[in-house]
Amino acid sequence: MKSKTTLPFMIGIPALIWQALFFYIPLLITFFSSLLHFTEEGLFLGFTLEKMALFINPIYEKVWFSSFCLALSNALICLIIAYPLAYFLAFTGKRFKNILLFLLIVPFWTNFLLHVYAWFFVLEKEGFLNIFLKSIGAINEPIHFLNSLFSIMVMMVYYYLPFMVLPIYFALERFDHRLIEASHDLGARPLQTFRRIMLPLTLNGVRAGFLLVYIPSFAEFVIPELMGGDKQMFMGSVVSHYILGEKTASLGAAFTVISSLILLISALFFYWLLGYLFKPRKSNA
Amino acid sequence: MLKISGLLMVASTYLFLYVPIVVLLVFSFNLEAFPSPWKGFTLKWYYELMHAPYLWKAFGNSLIVASFSTAISLTSGISLIFYATQGGRVGKFLALFYANLVIPETILAVSLLGFFSLFSIPLGLTTLVLAHTVLGLGFVVPILYARFVELDPKLTEASLVLGATSIQTFFKIILPMLLPTIVTTGLLVFIISFDDFVLSYFTAGSSTQTLSLYILSMIRSGVSPMVNALSAVLLFLSSLLVLIYFSLKTRTRIV
Amino acid sequence: MRSIKLKNLTKTASGSCVLNQINLHIPAGKFFALLGPSGCGKTTILRLIAGLDQADSGEIYLDEEEISKKPINQRPINIVFQNYALFPHLNVFDNVAYSLKLKKLPKGIIEQKVFQILESFHLASHIYKLPSQLSGGQQQRVALARAIVGEPDVLLLDEPLAALDFKLREKMLIELIELQDKLKTTFVYVTHDQFEALTVADQMAIMNHQGEIEQIGTPKQIYEFPISSFVARFVGTTNILNGTLHHLKEESEIDCHELGRFKVYIPQTKEWMKEGSSIQMSIRPEKIFITKKPAQNFSNHLKGSVHSIVYHGRSTQYNIILKNHTRLQVFEQNEEHFPQEVIDYDNEVFLYWQKENAVILEK
Repeated sequence: MKSKTTLPFMIGIPALIWQALFFYIPLLITFFSSLLHFTEEGLFLGFTLEKMALFINPIYEKVWFSSFCLALSNALICLIIAYPLAYFLAFTGKRFKNILLFLLIVPFWTNFLLHVYAWFFVLEKEGFLNIFLKSIGAINEPIHFLNSLFSIMVMMVYYYLPFMVLPIYFALERFDHRLIEASHDLGARPLQTFRRIMLPLTLNGVRAGFLLVYIPSFAEFVIPELMGGDKQMFMGSVVSHYILGEKTASLGAAFTVISSLILLISALFFYWLLGYLFKPRKSNA
Repeated sequence: MLKISGLLMVASTYLFLYVPIVVLLVFSFNLEAFPSPWKGFTLKWYYELMHAPYLWKAFGNSLIVASFSTAISLTSGISLIFYATQGGRVGKFLALFYANLVIPETILAVSLLGFFSLFSIPLGLTTLVLAHTVLGLGFVVPILYARFVELDPKLTEASLVLGATSIQTFFKIILPMLLPTIVTTGLLVFIISFDDFVLSYFTAGSSTQTLSLYILSMIRSGVSPMVNALSAVLLFLSSLLVLIYFSLKTRTRIV
Repeated sequence: MRSIKLKNLTKTASGSCVLNQINLHIPAGKFFALLGPSGCGKTTILRLIAGLDQADSGEIYLDEEEISKKPINQRPINIVFQNYALFPHLNVFDNVAYSLKLKKLPKGIIEQKVFQILESFHLASHIYKLPSQLSGGQQQRVALARAIVGEPDVLLLDEPLAALDFKLREKMLIELIELQDKLKTTFVYVTHDQFEALTVADQMAIMNHQGEIEQIGTPKQIYEFPISSFVARFVGTTNILNGTLHHLKEESEIDCHELGRFKVYIPQTKEWMKEGSSIQMSIRPEKIFITKKPAQNFSNHLKGSVHSIVYHGRSTQYNIILKNHTRLQVFEQNEEHFPQEVIDYDNEVFLYWQKENAVILEK
């Protein structure tokens, strides 16, 4: 039996090797380089937590806090917009549904940077929105939409919305519509039905969507950098700044490691929280 | 009442999604460059686009990287399934691939950069392909494997009983049945790679540009109708691909 | 056509099903049925014969050849699955030709064999359709065609008719009997439906919940002479009375306490039939004669009242309550349009049967 699976193993292994080599090992290297201590010439001196300690500093704490708020508010806004949208999508007629899905996915499949550019175009000092407002006489001076938290949020929601809509949509597709009818039949108001029936049963979709938005948003650096200018510093921008700098690579690694930890813990917390709030509960009978 | 407010909400959301795009498209035909309002219809920005110096190189690079990384990730994914059909225990390894979705791209990109510099691998097309394949594997493996386990095991048994070996069963039964999923996943991964920015930003190096990086450089130099024109072209291509994806998904749901 | 012998097969699984020292001889060229309740292990036996599973211990023989270690694709045994397992991406022709193509037969011969068999199954007009375009009955026949076109030595059928409706099932049963008659291939048919088993089998075996074979025999033997109350109850319906056995000079009797003493006929004395032992008596409902007036020339009788009546078209079922609240079922064939005697609810009736028509069972 042993020789039977050796050749297939050889064939099947590349995927595993690739994953290990180019995913896990780099991550491990980052992790360890944040702990290692090198001299100027590159001699290995031992393990240290010094570099990590560097970041226990109000400046960086502010950065993490900003990232946290950004990610959380983005996820919440997306959730509030996405759930009704997904609901509508799941329960409309077939033809309309396909068109709407198509329209939802096209931006999703278009180049990320083009999205940024599109909003750039609209929000810029001499961009579309300003020209439009000026032409209808609403304003005299162009508003600086860009370089603000507003433009960052707009862009974040714009980009991440499909990530939230699709998992919820798939969960709702599998949802038995008759349950809603049964619930109304038994006398529940729409909000109660939503809270007690729909949310618990689509919980996995909601959780998936939430994490798919929260996690990347936390580490996002392109959007804040391009849309927010230099006003705010987020985790992603700090990382890219250090990593691409000459001698600060290992500092960058340390910062990355701590950031990842914060991200992981907060993500797990929200995952648990969503479950706690909305999981189907055993009744106190 | 609920219906109307629902429709209103959906309409406004889609409006939000499409206003920038539509505006972008419209102004790609504007006679004069921004910030002037609509002056007239022209295709000159499209002509300029055709002759933009580094655009086509970047486009070509993106194409190469996307093609190779898709091909490699698909092949590895299929090989893994092959191993599973010959009795390999793949299930427990599967969890390893879920991490790709959970780790933010920035962190992966940064780690890969460190990895490449540690082993003195020069940044360029090669590192791009290596990185994008990892990205692709995170989709290919879970999706293909999920579809694979959905297949009726009795089909494999029927094939064996009728006289086929495990290998013949893989090529005659399993692979053909997985083909629709392979194609749609391949399309998905291709697009993800083509549109990718963060990973490319860190692993491309200074001498190689992908389309995303090219657009970045154009954005940095300010608003220009050429970018509008480029957006229009890429949007058109994306729509085409989404159409293909949709028609494949709905048409070939055999089992 | 080849015979199958199972020797001391044992299989345990983490689930509930266990096979316990199964010994079975399936004669060559016969239509053999394996009957039993759901989950009793009959499908497991089938899978062991096909090679889809391995037994923990024991051997499987094809005629004199031991095949327990032979790989699935080398056994000249084919199986028809309950859900047909047709390859959805291949059309009818390719599905049926699958095993022939694997044997690398010349194209012309493959075409000839496939066309021939599809003709005989009335599937010729569907030859290039996909399975999804066929009805349940048609799919079933394609699965059958696919399994026999390669002329296997043994054909295994795992509840193949379970998904069909009643009328279609009846029709297919007849077709299966005729097919086996023509091919003379050994058929092993697994089902939980006793009607199917009794209809098709030349020989059958009954399995119980513990993964053991209770009885082997022809359908008639099993129906008329069950050797345990499980078999008596599982195949058909029956009435079971408990009592003590007494051997008198000329004949034997069972003392059913308050219900009375009844004469019994023992064709073959068994070890457990000792004087004074607790036994059970099984009388099939159709073997009881029911009437409101007393009758003569019957070995045994009982008195009771009619509790409920169920009309079955061909027959009427009477549920009778005896004086000690035991219930008995009686079937009477509806021979006449205008019966001479009409039995109604709460009527007092006499039940008569001959001593040869009851079977005594070990308790």
